[in-house]
Amino acid sequence: MPVLEVLAGGLQSTIQDVGRPGYLATGMPPSGPADRFALGIANLLVGNDPGERYLVGRRPGAAGVEVLLSGLGLRVHAETVIAVTGADLAPTLNGQPLATWQSVRVKPDDEVLFRRARSGARAYLAVAGGIDVPLFAGSRATNVRAFVGGVEGRALKPGDLLRTFPPRRAVGALEGRRLRPDLVPVFGHRWRVRVVLGPQDDLFLPESINAFLRHDWELSSTSDRMGCRYIGPALEFKPRPAYLVEQAGADPSNIVDDTIPVGGIQVPGGVEPIVLHVDGPSLGGYAKIATVISADLGKVGQMRPGQVTSFQAVSTDAAVAALRDLEQSIAETSITST
Amino acid sequence: MIYAEAQYKPLGDLYLTVEFGDELSLALNFRVIALDGALKARPLRGVTETIPTNRSLGIVYDPFTVSRQELVARLKELEPQVHTIEELPSRHVTIPIWYDDPWSLECATAHGVPNNVELLAEINAMTVAEVIRTHSGTDHWVSAVGFTPACYQAMPLDPSKALTAPKYQRPRRWTPERILCIAGQLTSFYPIASPGGYQLLGRTPIELYDPRQRNPAFADGPVLPRVGDRHTYVPIDETTYWDIRREVEAGVYEYQIREETYRLQDYLSRLPGSSEGRGRGARA
Repeated sequence: MPVLEVLAGGLQSTIQDVGRPGYLATGMPPSGPADRFALGIANLLVGNDPGERYLVGRRPGAAGVEVLLSGLGLRVHAETVIAVTGADLAPTLNGQPLATWQSVRVKPDDEVLFRRARSGARAYLAVAGGIDVPLFAGSRATNVRAFVGGVEGRALKPGDLLRTFPPRRAVGALEGRRLRPDLVPVFGHRWRVRVVLGPQDDLFLPESINAFLRHDWELSSTSDRMGCRYIGPALEFKPRPAYLVEQAGADPSNIVDDTIPVGGIQVPGGVEPIVLHVDGPSLGGYAKIATVISADLGKVGQMRPGQVTSFQAVSTDAAVAALRDLEQSIAETSITST
Repeated sequence: MIYAEAQYKPLGDLYLTVEFGDELSLALNFRVIALDGALKARPLRGVTETIPTNRSLGIVYDPFTVSRQELVARLKELEPQVHTIEELPSRHVTIPIWYDDPWSLECATAHGVPNNVELLAEINAMTVAEVIRTHSGTDHWVSAVGFTPACYQAMPLDPSKALTAPKYQRPRRWTPERILCIAGQLTSFYPIASPGGYQLLGRTPIELYDPRQRNPAFADGPVLPRVGDRHTYVPIDETTYWDIRREVEAGVYEYQIREETYRLQDYLSRLPGSSEGRGRGARA
């Protein structure tokens, strides 16, 4: 029997687990949650496996729903426990505010609605047991552009019926679990995203590296799970040898295509740096000034168009330390029971 | 240029790149593929996947298992053996193309630019028929795969058959799926409908990306092209296009793929100025 019925799909609601590593050489992005912490905690709150680490882990963990900005409506068909985390999208349960960052028991005919974005961009909904959709290449994560994962490789739409796997614990034992209050993130209007400079920072003028690190950057509305575009000052490049103009392209930002990591920041034409995100390409022909550290990818995923961020350069060692902190927080020790 | 020693650059905290040079060259791509092969044959602790591109090997690793410094040290031990690689396994794949097809023309017209094949003819000072004969007259070497699933870049193996093409000044908002395209000297491919800036050459009736993996050619995965493949593009007419398309849709099309090897010298001997001149057979 299905547990949830989709009444309205909203802007874009997709099934995601930690993602599909191992296929970057074929051009298949890892997908997975734009905010790894929020999906991991949602899963823990309802007793699910939060999965292993993004990109380098082996277990994708349980699948939940990533809700972009607003509009997802669900009807409950069977008694279960859910948890909503991530952005505050003013969720309601039968018209009353639904508590977030904690597990909530729901019963048949209850309705959950995500009404409007108050802070952050993406909420996550986990259900006890995890959503049961077919695995594709080891993961249930949806990639709508490649038509794979989730429900028929697409975003949720009205009439979709979602089944779950059996919960790991009795539904009653999963009630009243919440994230430790000191760990609940606060999503404001201003952000600070940490980056590791390179691999092509040496192609930019030094003044432009300074400008990149000193200015505020506003998220453009043409942003999605593939890439997030930032509006700010134009960046300039050093002159290139003639063979690169011929082989890589006439634009000074062109390079002979190489690997784009998740979090890589391309600057086509020197304007509007693009942070390539979880559904982004693995190969590209524009100079990359820096890479967002993996611990801060979730911040990029939670920014809303019009909000501003700075980019702060850190060492790879600092980035690894930040990742360790993030991953250690996605654990049962972060959950309290009432 | 090809660097005397590879450069090891961080791509954040989970990737690094081993860069052998900044240019497009088969000798450079051979090193990338050779290092990739060495890592597949004897995996290094902490490395979770590799991404061969035109000129560099992207390496994804778990920094909790191996530090970047330690990984770079292990990779540097492997580096000498890849500088001398002369022969690689290489699949030969035949891909039928309806050059100068109506979808490409429709797409160009919708974006306010002339027929792309006619533009190529003008830029390369030849007729449209010569453009098609030239492009299909040489095998192409797949030097990178990515951008979207099954999108690839391939370079002509006979330098005398190299066309040149500018990118679109304003990238297209969309391109139909299964369109073959060219920019610089690189041939590329849009497996799924996507934006893009390469000049459109023609359309193939066969799939190079099949998420449903219906045809046995996709038994190993949904993406057919691999770095190190060689493609032969065979011009077909409208009737043949539809005949093949029906076979593909019925799941009975027989992909023409041969397992072979390719010697770097076969390419180098064709380069202008080579003492051996050009024109010798390339197949092993």
